[in-house]
Amino acid sequence: MAETVKGFKLEPKQLRIYGLVGSVVGIYLAYILNSVTGTNIFSFVGALAALFGVVMGANAVRRVCAYGIGTGVPSIGMLSLGMGVVAVLFGLSIAEQLGIGLLGVIIALVYSLIFGYVVGLIANRVMGFNIPVMEEGLTDLSGAGTLAILGWSFAISGSLGYADIVHSVINTGFLAIIFICGGLAILHPFNANLGPDEKQDRTLVNGVMVGGMSTIATGICALMTLGLAAGMVQIVVGFAVWYYFFVWYFRLAKRDASAVVGTGLLPPTVQ
Amino acid sequence: MDAFGMGLVAAMGALATVAGASEDIDSDIGSQSNPNSQVQLAAQVGNPHRIYNKAIAGEPPSNALWCTTAAIMAYVLIEGYHMPLLFAAAAGASLAALFDGVMSVSAYLGRNASQARFNQWIYLDILRYTTPSIMAHVWITSFCIVLISIIQVYVLTPHHPFPIPVIALVWGLTVGAIGSSVGDIHYGGEREFQWRLFGQGLNTMLSGQIVRKAEAGLRNSIDNAWFCAKFGGPCTGMGFGLTVFLDNWRTTVFDPLTQATAAIAMGIFFVIVMNLYNFYCELSARRKYGPYPGYKGDIAA
Repeated sequence: MAETVKGFKLEPKQLRIYGLVGSVVGIYLAYILNSVTGTNIFSFVGALAALFGVVMGANAVRRVCAYGIGTGVPSIGMLSLGMGVVAVLFGLSIAEQLGIGLLGVIIALVYSLIFGYVVGLIANRVMGFNIPVMEEGLTDLSGAGTLAILGWSFAISGSLGYADIVHSVINTGFLAIIFICGGLAILHPFNANLGPDEKQDRTLVNGVMVGGMSTIATGICALMTLGLAAGMVQIVVGFAVWYYFFVWYFRLAKRDASAVVGTGLLPPTVQ
Repeated sequence: MDAFGMGLVAAMGALATVAGASEDIDSDIGSQSNPNSQVQLAAQVGNPHRIYNKAIAGEPPSNALWCTTAAIMAYVLIEGYHMPLLFAAAAGASLAALFDGVMSVSAYLGRNASQARFNQWIYLDILRYTTPSIMAHVWITSFCIVLISIIQVYVLTPHHPFPIPVIALVWGLTVGAIGSSVGDIHYGGEREFQWRLFGQGLNTMLSGQIVRKAEAGLRNSIDNAWFCAKFGGPCTGMGFGLTVFLDNWRTTVFDPLTQATAAIAMGIFFVIVMNLYNFYCELSARRKYGPYPGYKGDIAA
């Protein structure tokens, strides 16, 4: 093939650091930018921060499900976001009650990592999955789900306060789209690329692409909660992320496929 | 009970019937959900094909996504910008269809690229002419589901206390689950494996040996829609429509607050009648088409 496509290969530990640090720093950066400028226009940075968590989660799904969990891919994605919802509500409400509202993100994250590890232990020891990376994978997944929910919730509410998030994310029902679209961003990459010739870069690029779509969706929600300007910025940023990564994904698929043809009959060897 | 409320319940039942039918046909065009495993397996056992492979997380989560996407758009337009209800639902459904298009394309590209060693090609013409018909069916499904949610929240009294996105999420999961268990059996059992004898089940030997050639030329996914629209789709529609209609009917006829016992008793009555009818259907099918020629009596486990 004439054109060369940019690919990559990352270690799980590297990805975990990128995911956790990138996401937490991004969420706080969004908070600081919003506070310093006194607007809510920078809420889209929270949505971008969620993408780091999503990439980490997508890689964890890839690792755990490579042990032959085919139909379990959607389930594990939903499990991830389910653990995330519990951890986010727990972390933010505890932080609010203790009067350290800003540390809610850290509390939620630490709680979710422990929660994920315990669920992983139960899955392996009690239910007998016997998958070596299960504990590690579910710890990552739980953290990823938490960061995704936190990032996109910030993108909708423009605040890290428990009361604000309950008011503009949960009471409006927008948590439903964060849950299902964020869940798809974590589980769809591996599910869409399932097969013996699955490649890490193609899977993760797909994850960011679906994350871009989620950002468009949260941007639409933000049109109502944050106003026209903040919502539109988020939609445009989401579209840009989606477009860039969709084109990249298409090139990677072309790179990996045995042939990409405009039309044609079955491959010559099997007709 | 008032006539207006009953009319609304009937309208919801009709919308649900359409939503169920289009949901099933959408998943059949894309070979989503349970029949997908055989489409996926086909290339691996040496049968590359020209059938769409839309693997988006199984039907319940994916339909929940389309319906919720449509619902947030409708909710924002109604609450934030005071748009008419029907326009809001149509705008939401359009967004859901676009989301579905992207997900379908990425799943087709990804799944086929991951089967490179089995010589499964990516055919771009399949993407071009099959994806729009998947999106069209998703548009219908999400439009109907969002309208049901809107009726429940804004029109039907008492108003449902939940916001539209949450109701749409639950209805999306429900329609996906019903489509997956009703219509997909028809596609997977009757269309992918056309020569099976009654009672044979899916022999392991036949795994992946799906029908790849059509009446003329190679089979494509639009042929599957033509086939499934005759029985699987309407059956799913009836299943989902009855679920929505009967459940809302009993709480409209009997006031949930003062006549709760009667409403619950009616629900139990429906469950019993449906179980008896199912039992009758199974017995009747076995009497007419069985037994399987290879049947050698029950084998003790």
